[in-house]
Amino acid sequence: MKQLLSITMLLLGLSIAAIAQERFTISGYLKDAANGEGLIGATVQVKGQPVGVATNEYGFYSLTLPKGEYQLVYSYVGYESITKAVSLNYNQKLDMQLKSANVLIQEVVVKATRSEQNVNSLEMGVSKLDMKTIKAMPALLGEVDVIRSIQMLPGVSTVGEGATGFNVRGGNIDQNLILLDEATVYNSSHLMGFFSVFNPDAVKDVKLVKSGIPAQYGGRLSSLLDVRMKEGNAKRLALSGGIGTVSSRFTVESPIVKDKSSFIIAGRRSYADLFLKLSPNEDLKNNQMFFYDLSAKVNQTLSAKDKVFVSAYLGKDVFSAKNFGDGDFKMNWGNKTATVRWNHLFSDRLFANFTGVYSDYDYEIGVPQGAQAFEWKSNIYNYSGKADFSYYLNANNTISFGGNVIHHRFTPGNVGTNGEGSFINAFKLTERNAREYAVYLDNEQTLGKRLSLQYGVRVSAFDYLGGLTVYDYQGEPNQKKLPVNPRTYKAGESVSTYFNVEPRASVRYTLDDNSSLKASYNRTAQYIHLISSSTAASPLDIWFPTTNHIKPETADQFALGYFRNLKDNAIEASIEGFYKTMTNQIDYRDGAQVLLNDHLEGDLLFGEGRAYGAEVYVKKNAGKLNGWVSYTLSRSERRIDGLSNNQWYAAKYDRRHMLSVVGIYNLSKRLSLSANFTYNTGVATTAPNARVEIDGMVVPYNSTGNRNAFRVPAYHRLDLAATLQGKHNALRRWQGEWVFSVYNAYARRNAFSVYFRQNETNPQQTEAVRMAILGSVLPSVTYNFKF
Amino acid sequence: MKSYSVLALLLGLWVSLSSCEDVVDVELEKSKPVLVVDGWITDQPGPQTIRLKTTAPYFSNGASPVVTGATVTIRDNQGQTEVLKETAPGVYQTQSLRGKVGNQYTLTVKTGSEEYTAETAIRRTFPIDSIGTVYQKESMGRKEGYTLRFYGREPLGVGDSYRLKVYRNDTLLNSPHDLIFLEDRYVDGNYFKGLDLGLEPFRKGDKVRIENHSITEDTYAFLTELSTQMRNGGMFANPPANVRSNIKAVQGGKKATGWFGGSAVSSAERVVE
Repeated sequence: MKQLLSITMLLLGLSIAAIAQERFTISGYLKDAANGEGLIGATVQVKGQPVGVATNEYGFYSLTLPKGEYQLVYSYVGYESITKAVSLNYNQKLDMQLKSANVLIQEVVVKATRSEQNVNSLEMGVSKLDMKTIKAMPALLGEVDVIRSIQMLPGVSTVGEGATGFNVRGGNIDQNLILLDEATVYNSSHLMGFFSVFNPDAVKDVKLVKSGIPAQYGGRLSSLLDVRMKEGNAKRLALSGGIGTVSSRFTVESPIVKDKSSFIIAGRRSYADLFLKLSPNEDLKNNQMFFYDLSAKVNQTLSAKDKVFVSAYLGKDVFSAKNFGDGDFKMNWGNKTATVRWNHLFSDRLFANFTGVYSDYDYEIGVPQGAQAFEWKSNIYNYSGKADFSYYLNANNTISFGGNVIHHRFTPGNVGTNGEGSFINAFKLTERNAREYAVYLDNEQTLGKRLSLQYGVRVSAFDYLGGLTVYDYQGEPNQKKLPVNPRTYKAGESVSTYFNVEPRASVRYTLDDNSSLKASYNRTAQYIHLISSSTAASPLDIWFPTTNHIKPETADQFALGYFRNLKDNAIEASIEGFYKTMTNQIDYRDGAQVLLNDHLEGDLLFGEGRAYGAEVYVKKNAGKLNGWVSYTLSRSERRIDGLSNNQWYAAKYDRRHMLSVVGIYNLSKRLSLSANFTYNTGVATTAPNARVEIDGMVVPYNSTGNRNAFRVPAYHRLDLAATLQGKHNALRRWQGEWVFSVYNAYARRNAFSVYFRQNETNPQQTEAVRMAILGSVLPSVTYNFKF
Repeated sequence: MKSYSVLALLLGLWVSLSSCEDVVDVELEKSKPVLVVDGWITDQPGPQTIRLKTTAPYFSNGASPVVTGATVTIRDNQGQTEVLKETAPGVYQTQSLRGKVGNQYTLTVKTGSEEYTAETAIRRTFPIDSIGTVYQKESMGRKEGYTLRFYGREPLGVGDSYRLKVYRNDTLLNSPHDLIFLEDRYVDGNYFKGLDLGLEPFRKGDKVRIENHSITEDTYAFLTELSTQMRNGGMFANPPANVRSNIKAVQGGKKATGWFGGSAVSSAERVVE
């Protein structure tokens, strides 16, 4: 390991020999005093010097300084800071516990730490939403939602209400790397896209990275959404939960051995089907539609140097209809993930984490009985292993390096029947396997008072594996291409291999105490692709690996930003511009068959993409009124061979103007009010300009051949919420709160889509139809408790 | 597999609890007329009919303009050719030509200096054994009544596709919801033992006639796109796109659209009791 490190440093042009002065290391963990949860991204700062370090995902920090006396300031957003005098004349361990600040103190503390974050950190295009804020925002039907909350941030959008996923800086939804405790989540939505799969009670930390993505992360082009689960209360047994309009939640967390090991189990289930049971309508009564999810995590401290975490997630959506036509119909889908992590301190300056992940996204559709019985299963498996190291070289350099291997296994369609009874034949689509490898090296460096840098490189490789017959596809661009030249490969044999070198760099230059300039560049590569059969993603969409025919997608993004704090750090503001180009973007020909098509590759079309824009973000942290305003002006375009006359056209999720306003007003200790307002330019779609009569039917037709030249009307919406907390009583452990919320307060019928059809009663007449998903006011009440 | 539409319905079910639709005014781009060819050749006694029209602005809300005075010819791969007669404005019909299973057909349209062609074939079909009816209570938005069941053996060998045309009391059910087409990819050589046609239920005393039209793979794809684009609402709508066309410009021809299809037809009928 030592050897590897010295080689590493040579490569970086750093010299360890130059250290004349004796140096010592102070390291340890920062934790929440109330529950023992590690604090992510908390800072340890040397008072009076531009020297400091942030805690990693496990709350660990390490700071190496010349021998001497120091005042160290430990701080974290929303927590009371602690200043500690340290005589650094030997290597020492210092774990700190920070107390969550009450509102009054918060004003002071938040200012201090926030200036650090906004102006002084290297991060740009990074949005951190703490769970407190997410929980205070008005939520659809009272369901606190991580994904819906991040859609209020600059540069983040969605194709419509209730659509799965989110789009970041003009990227498709599959270009977001969504990690739940390091495990890939393929589908982030429950009930199509209305709610996200993360149970807010089990989530500790949410971070969205839109640019300057660290070299540690890869495999997706546009963003990283890093969701970290709570570790479980290490101090005492704690119960919490809520009863809402849509679902109920319950969480148990407790130490197993105090301050050594703890666990958390959180569950959530919706009860739309319970309401259906009350329905007088026989049919509805027998139908089911619900979702549930279970999150569980255990951690164990093995020694001062070793810590193990095991976490698991299971989420499922279930739909079933009785007596649908001839028989029953059922459908379900969900994510399963399991993560095992081992933190090991090789020394007080070398932190390592080893991770093993299993992730499985599956769906199942079927008619269990009858002449048309079938059962269709689809799975995406992901087995991965990774090793990540952080070497705290000195106060000015933190080096990260590591690597990972992912085995992808796709079984897109396995259709079975119940044998004799059904007239449908069983069949199976080709199983596809692939392996993704990556190694990375990254250094975060401070150069004097004003300048800090992060630079690194990720080298990724992808191996499309055999065990199948592969083809080339030939034909005209907008026609079905036919498979030719079949070649059979043995299982495990490599069919095609791709490499990508992905440089990443960020720089921050401090202008004065309150402002800084930041710039970043990153290249990202993506090897698995979501092929969606509909304009809004559905749970049945196909994930497809890079193959001999489909090339890896790559993106280059440049971003530049100006960050400034105002009013003594009470207000933080930023303006960022970005320009992104993307290669090998995938679309499909008109009329392609996406589902159950073993030659889907023959229907795909390829081209390039570009997105650019500016994001303005102003956030107020202090005072009774908190919140932010974010405005994004951007474009996202594609040029695909064989589509839209080979010209650039707006992506479906191109939104020129996006505005979000979030306000949270703490009226008193017990009552807080909040409001969201959002405005987006309508999505781009294709509209007909003519009609064609065929076989007595009137069919929409566009004579220009241009794609997405039509805009659905603009989207805007106001949501309101009020949270009333129970009386604070120091003697009582039970704490309750009522949350009242109103979604879409002025009942706007926002168009999800505009489509064109024949009038039902007069087929000669054609009309444009606006479909609104949630076209009315949706009030809700939720009761939350903690014990 | 007809299950797709079932799926779409179900996916839409929960959304329908809160979603709403209304007709809105929108401004659309202007368009220039494009030739539309709409015709079939079948193995039934004629006349075979080809209609020529042009496209019209989407909201024109009337019959499309017809194209008169064109020369329309159908030729098969066995050397038979017939020039169709314009029996009504824009309607061109054969006098004697009758399609035959296994033959290829080429349609030629000359209008002014423009020339277009289209090709199709007539594939085998299979007889309908019988039509069944099952009484069902009102369920999942379907009215109470008799739903139709289809019986017959699909011939062995993948690559056959069919369109089922259903007539209620001698009127063709021709709304976008009534388009029924099948391919044998998942059911090759099997016996359709009461395939639910998924139509609005029939009433006692209704006369049912089902025609089983063989279609080419290409025509199947055309009907799939047609059906998709004509009922393209809901959360999981497909990207709007022009329905494919097999009408190709030859000389001086501009862009044209429409479809020329070929079918062999078998049929059965009964009265709902």
